[in-house]
Amino acid sequence: MVKIDLKNVSKSYGKFIALKNISLQVKDKEYFIILGPTGGGKTTLLKIISGLVKPDDGEVLFDDIDVTRMTPGERNIGFMFENYALFPHMNLVDNISYSGRVNARNPEMTKKLVEQVLMMTLLTGRNEALPEELSGGMKQRVALCRSLLNLEQTKLLILDEPLKALDAGLRMNLRRELLLMAKSKQLELTVVHVTNEEEEAMMVADRIAVINQGELVQVGTPHDIYYYPKDLFVANFMSEINYFDGICIREESPKWDIYKMSGQKDNFYTQIHEESSPILIDLNTGDQFAAYIKNDVSNEYNHGDKILLVVRANHMKIRLGNRLNQKKNSFFGKIIRRKFMGVFYRFEVLIGINNQEKTVVVTIPATSEVHNKFKENLEVTIYFPKELGIVFKHPGNKVVNEVIKLE
Amino acid sequence: MPTIELIGVTKTFNEGKVLAVDDITLKINDGDYVFLLGPTGCGKTTTLRMIAGLEEPTNGKVFIDGKDVKGIPPEDRDMGFIFQHFEIFDHLTVWENVTFGLEMRGYDDDYIVQQAEKALTTVDLLEYVDEYPSIFGNPGLQKLGIARAIATGAKILIMDEPLGSLDPKVSNVFRHELRNLIKDLGLTAIHVTHNQEEAMAIADQIIIMRAGKILQMGTPYDLYESPNSIFVANFLGETNFLQGFVLKLLEDAKMEMWIRLGGPRITCNNINLQFDLDDNIVIAFRFEDVYLFPEDYGFEKSVYDWSGVQFFKASLEDSRFVGATKRFYLFLDNGDKFLSIKPGSYEENFVPGETLIIGIHIDDIHVFKAPSDMLYETSLS
Repeated sequence: MVKIDLKNVSKSYGKFIALKNISLQVKDKEYFIILGPTGGGKTTLLKIISGLVKPDDGEVLFDDIDVTRMTPGERNIGFMFENYALFPHMNLVDNISYSGRVNARNPEMTKKLVEQVLMMTLLTGRNEALPEELSGGMKQRVALCRSLLNLEQTKLLILDEPLKALDAGLRMNLRRELLLMAKSKQLELTVVHVTNEEEEAMMVADRIAVINQGELVQVGTPHDIYYYPKDLFVANFMSEINYFDGICIREESPKWDIYKMSGQKDNFYTQIHEESSPILIDLNTGDQFAAYIKNDVSNEYNHGDKILLVVRANHMKIRLGNRLNQKKNSFFGKIIRRKFMGVFYRFEVLIGINNQEKTVVVTIPATSEVHNKFKENLEVTIYFPKELGIVFKHPGNKVVNEVIKLE
Repeated sequence: MPTIELIGVTKTFNEGKVLAVDDITLKINDGDYVFLLGPTGCGKTTTLRMIAGLEEPTNGKVFIDGKDVKGIPPEDRDMGFIFQHFEIFDHLTVWENVTFGLEMRGYDDDYIVQQAEKALTTVDLLEYVDEYPSIFGNPGLQKLGIARAIATGAKILIMDEPLGSLDPKVSNVFRHELRNLIKDLGLTAIHVTHNQEEAMAIADQIIIMRAGKILQMGTPYDLYESPNSIFVANFLGETNFLQGFVLKLLEDAKMEMWIRLGGPRITCNNINLQFDLDDNIVIAFRFEDVYLFPEDYGFEKSVYDWSGVQFFKASLEDSRFVGATKRFYLFLDNGDKFLSIKPGSYEENFVPGETLIIGIHIDDIHVFKAPSDMLYETSLS
C-alpha cells in the first residue's frame, strides 16, 4: 500500500515561485489527478513526489515515512513521461525490462513480469519491434509497461500528461484502460496523474486537485469540483460558463417559492437540497433571482454583499418567446448565433441586463429534436434551475477579466 | 468575391517518391469558413500551402476568384496568414508588427493608420500599441497575429493550426472569438487542424483528408450525421462499432444483422441494397444515440413512439460522471463493448452488472463494409 502526504511543500526557482505551501493527501489505491493550466505548478509537484526535485520547504511522506531526502530510485515508483522516453535502439522487450536488468533481478522473474504486463496492455506478439515501428498508442503502452515493471514493493504510478500526444479516439480508449488497469485486482495501484484537460480528469479521477499559479485551489471528487467549485477559476476550468454581477439579498422576503424543488424530484436535486440552502440575488433586473449555496458557507453572505452568479452553459434552459412571467431565474433575449457541435448545439443569446447587452451561452443536447425550433434571430427566454446556480463572493472585475477573458 | 477552386491537384516530393496530395478537387465558396482536417501526414498542410502559393502543384490547377494563380507569389494572392507559432517580431512594438506588412506593400500612411487601428480594435489590442509583444501570453500573441493578418484588408484568411499553441481551456474560448471575428468581417477562411473537436465547433465546411485524398466534405452536421466511411465516423465524435454479418434481407431496403459470436440481432437500413446475405459488416452508432432502459421498463404504458427503435439487451460494466455528461460502459453477452452518454444530471440508478435494455433508432445506425483486417489497427488510425 502507498499513501502520500505532502506537508507545507514550497518550491521556488530563483524569483519564480512554483509552489506555495501545498498540503495534500493521496489515499492508498486512489486515482488522484492534478489538474491545472500550463505553468501552474503541476509538474513541479509531481517531480517533488517522485524525488526528481527537492522542495525548498515542507515534507513528503510515503506511508508515514519521510522520503523528502530520498532519491527517486529509493522511492521505488513507476514513472511515465509525457514523451515516453523509450530507447530507440532497443526492441520492445528490452525497453521494458531494461531497468529490471540493471537492478540485477532474477532474470526468470523479470521475464515472467514482462510477459504479464505485455498481456495486460495487449502488446503480446510484438516483442522484437523497435519503437520507430510502433504507432503512438503502442509506444505509449510500452512506456506504461516499463513503468509498471518497476512496481515491486511500492505500488505507486506517476503519470505526467501520459495521453497528450495521442489522437482523440485513442486517447479516449486509453483513459479507460489506464483506469481499469490501476483498479485491477492484480495491481491496485495508487496513481498520481497530471493533466491540463478537465475532461480527462473527470473521466478517471477518484479525486482531483486543481492547481493554479502555484497554489492548491481545491481538492475534491469530480462531483464536488463540478457542482461546488470553490472559486471562479475552478468553475470556469471545468466547462463553459456564464457569469452575472449581483448583490446578495438577505433582508427581503422571497417573492417566489425558492424552497421548492425545480423540475422532477430526483436523487440529484434532493442531495442539493440537503447539502445547501437558497440565497436571493438582485441582478438589477427588477426580479429576484435565487441560487443554492452549501450550508457551511451560507452565513458568510450578508445583505448587500457583491456576488458573482455563475451558470454553466449546459445548465441553461431555453424556450421560445417571452416567458418571463412563467419562468423564474429567467432572461429574455434573441438568438444571435447557433452552431452544431456534434453532441450538442451551442447558442449565443443576446440579453439586456442592467442597461447593457450581454451574450449568454446556452448548450442543449443534439439528440432531442427540440433544437430545430431555435433559429438565429428568434426571441427566446433562457432560465436556469436555482439548484444549479453557483454563487461566489465577487472577486472584483480584474480577477473576472483575468479568469474569463484570459488577459 | 473570393472563391477558391482546386482541380485535379497533385503534389509529390522527392522526385515523385512521396505522394503528399493525390488528385484532389474541391471548391470553397465566398465567405465560407472551411477546415482541412485529418491526422498528421494526411496532406492537409501541403494543400493549404498550394492554395497560399507557398508550393506549386505538381499537377492540376488552383483558381482564386476564377483566375488560374499558377506562378503568382503568395504576397500577390490577397491573403492574410496566421501561424501556429505566431511568427511575431519580438523587437517591434505591437503597432509596428501590424504596420510592417502594410509598409512593405507601399500603402500610403493614412491608409496604414486606418487599417492598423481597425484591426487592433477588432482584436481588442488598441491600448497596447506602444508595448512590445513580450508582455503577452500565447492568446495575446495570437490576437496580434490575427490583427496583422486582417490589417492587410485581405479577403482570404489562411490559418495553419492557429489554436495549436494555446492551452485547451484557452483555445475552447478563443475559437469562438475567432469564428465570430471571421464571420463579422465576412472573410473566406481556410483553417488547418488535426483537432476534430475544434473543427466541429466552428467550421462552416469540413474537408476530411487521409493519405493525400479527400475522404468527405460537408457541413459539420452532414459529416457527423452521415459519415461515408468508418474512418470519418470514428474521427468526428465518439462512435461505437460492432461487427457482424447480414443474416436476412428484409423489405423496404432493410436487413437483419447478427452481431458476431452470437451477439444480438439488429435490424438496420440497407441503403441502395448495397449489402447481400452473409456480407461482413460493421455498424457504427454514436455514444449519445444509445438509449438505456431498466429491464422492467413499461414500454406498453409509455406515450413515446418506439417505431424504428431497435432493442436488445446488454449489461452495465460501470458508469462515470464527467461533468456535462455521464458515461455508461456496456457489454454484450459475446464480450463486445460499447458506450452510452447522457447529460450529467441524468437520473437512473443503474448498478454495475445490471442487465439493461438498449434502444437505438434505426436511422442512427450507420452500416459499413467490414474491413478485412482488424478493425482498430487498420481502419481507424
